Amino acid sequence: MSAPEMVLKVQDLKKHFPVHKGLLSRVVGHVFAVDGVSFEIRRGETLCLVGESGCGKSTVAKTVMRLQEPTAGTVELNGADITKLDQEELRAHRRQMQIVFQDPYSSLNPRMSAGAIVSEPLTNYGIAAGPELTQRIAQLFERVGLRADAMVKYPHEFSGGQRQRLGIARALAVNPRLIVADEPVSALDVSVQAQVLNLLIDLQEEFQLAYLFVSHDLAVVEHIGHRIAVMYLGRIVELADNADLFGTPLHPYTEALLAAAPLPEPGLKRERIILQGDVPSPMNPPSGCRFHTRCPYALPECKVTDPPLLEVAPGHHVACLRRPVGTDGAPLTRTA
Amino acid sequence: MTAVAPAVSAPIAAPAHAETILSVRDLRTQFFTRDGVVRAVDGVSFDLKRGETLCIVGESGCGKSVTALSILGLIPAGAGRIVGGSVRFEGTELTTLSEAEMRRIRGNRISMIFQEPMTSLNPVFTVGQQIAESVSIHQGLNRRQAWDRAIEMLSLVKIADPKRRAGEYPHQLSGGMRQRVMIAIALACNPQVLIADEPTTALDVTIQAQILNLMLELKDRLGTAIILITHDLGVVAETAQRVIVMYAGRKAEEAAVDELFRHPIHPYTRGLMASIPRRSAAGRRSQVRGRLQEITGIVPSLREEIPGCAFAPRCGFAVDRCTREQPPFEAHRPAHFAACWEAARVVGTPR
Repeated sequence: MSAPEMVLKVQDLKKHFPVHKGLLSRVVGHVFAVDGVSFEIRRGETLCLVGESGCGKSTVAKTVMRLQEPTAGTVELNGADITKLDQEELRAHRRQMQIVFQDPYSSLNPRMSAGAIVSEPLTNYGIAAGPELTQRIAQLFERVGLRADAMVKYPHEFSGGQRQRLGIARALAVNPRLIVADEPVSALDVSVQAQVLNLLIDLQEEFQLAYLFVSHDLAVVEHIGHRIAVMYLGRIVELADNADLFGTPLHPYTEALLAAAPLPEPGLKRERIILQGDVPSPMNPPSGCRFHTRCPYALPECKVTDPPLLEVAPGHHVACLRRPVGTDGAPLTRTA
Repeated sequence: MTAVAPAVSAPIAAPAHAETILSVRDLRTQFFTRDGVVRAVDGVSFDLKRGETLCIVGESGCGKSVTALSILGLIPAGAGRIVGGSVRFEGTELTTLSEAEMRRIRGNRISMIFQEPMTSLNPVFTVGQQIAESVSIHQGLNRRQAWDRAIEMLSLVKIADPKRRAGEYPHQLSGGMRQRVMIAIALACNPQVLIADEPTTALDVTIQAQILNLMLELKDRLGTAIILITHDLGVVAETAQRVIVMYAGRKAEEAAVDELFRHPIHPYTRGLMASIPRRSAAGRRSQVRGRLQEITGIVPSLREEIPGCAFAPRCGFAVDRCTREQPPFEAHRPAHFAACWEAARVVGTPR
């Protein structure tokens, strides 16, 4: 059995934002928001991007959609590089990828009825009109767990969870192959979060959708991700299958991130590493390994050498000088 | 650059003889809007013992923050008010105090930390001035002494180079450092009670771990009782001694933290615990990508009077009586209280 077909292939993606200052708005530096990120997603697969604020995970999502223009690198959707296309050429490809945003309050037009919001992409691409359109929207509403008669309502009449369902219906309308979901459940209460996560999983199984799922919440990521990429300061520091990443995290940052997340089990005794200090500024990232300023295992050469992302075990990629190819995942000895 | 923190040990319940420092009885707070009366807090009672950590957990709109604001007398006049019940702090009734009397307690004996450290700090004063202001008002220190105290507090909350940082403005600090400053201000007068409303919700997870550890460490050192308000069951499990679960302005359940997580009684508490994706310790991971248990439906509107149990419309155990009569908040196990008519049947059903 061959692997499912590739839907998205991102190579060496970079997004640098110029920083302007002074009367003449001279460029005084760049924010290296995304600085060389590569990954691929196959049909029916969920790749999660996880990391803390400012690590560049949302910028990756927006750049993949070309809602922001990449500074460098390629984004192949179904085998075609979309980074060089003009807006008209891009339109045809956009139909294959849709985005669901974090905030269901600001991502829906308050002046449009729910039915109009979901039908817009369909009329935009000339997919359906008239009674066929109404029927299609009713189907979509029912598929995401909304009543078809809610079509005439406006966004403010829905709860947060229902609005997120509406956003998902809008994304599904054009039968995309890839859905980019940028923190889709972060603004929802936990009891509603479960409803939306279950819906996303069901839809993936039904339509074999590929998901690029951006989140800061490790529990959500562990639940929904087939493969997980951990980002730190614009780079992927570790990329592995769900079981490998959570079972044998290899990068010291992943290890610290997992240890920091509080678990809903009282009395669980864990020796936890608490990282000191803050994430450095992405305008002026540290030399060598970007994590060396907070890493408990850093060696002198970590300050100098920027470690490449290597496949150290089958399917398990990590960017750390202390985790060479063939590493066994044994605990590292501390240096600090 | 890193330190190994001792594993936060399982907090032991406050000793039974510890005296009650804050006592809330049948608190009712309502807001008056054009669309009607919102019953934000609808008859909440609890005691806080000296040096104890009490967590109040619930989803948005359950009344947990309004409970905190009511204790501190911070309900904006005109929008709403406390319509019933009492809040006694060290024997003094707070709900009837004048604003001037309340100001002597607030920030001095009872302090508060809010979710968003950027909006709760004044952008035009240095952080040192903001700590010094609190101690000079409440403790009558002169400028020199107050400034020294500010620097002492900044080093207590582990801000590196406190002398320099005291002269900086909030925008020059990171989110985690701002929350440390908030803690420094809150603890500067050695309060008996610290109310922390979602203190780490706006912070990244590695910074959250730093701040929670700091709060627990200072609590042990200074003996401050903490009311921690959160929506995050992970934070509850790692910090609380006792937990109150709120739903729609009422208490649903109350117990010691171990007891609550091991033997939840109320269907809402059980639903909440089942609906969170579980991250368990490495090696004992739960099954990946099973369906999460959902709590169907949405929270009720607080604009209408709810005659029965507020959770009944979403509850799989609800019977007729649940929609008609409000269940009493009573013990179903030793020191474990819940408001549920069908508790016996719920407990008998495996989770």
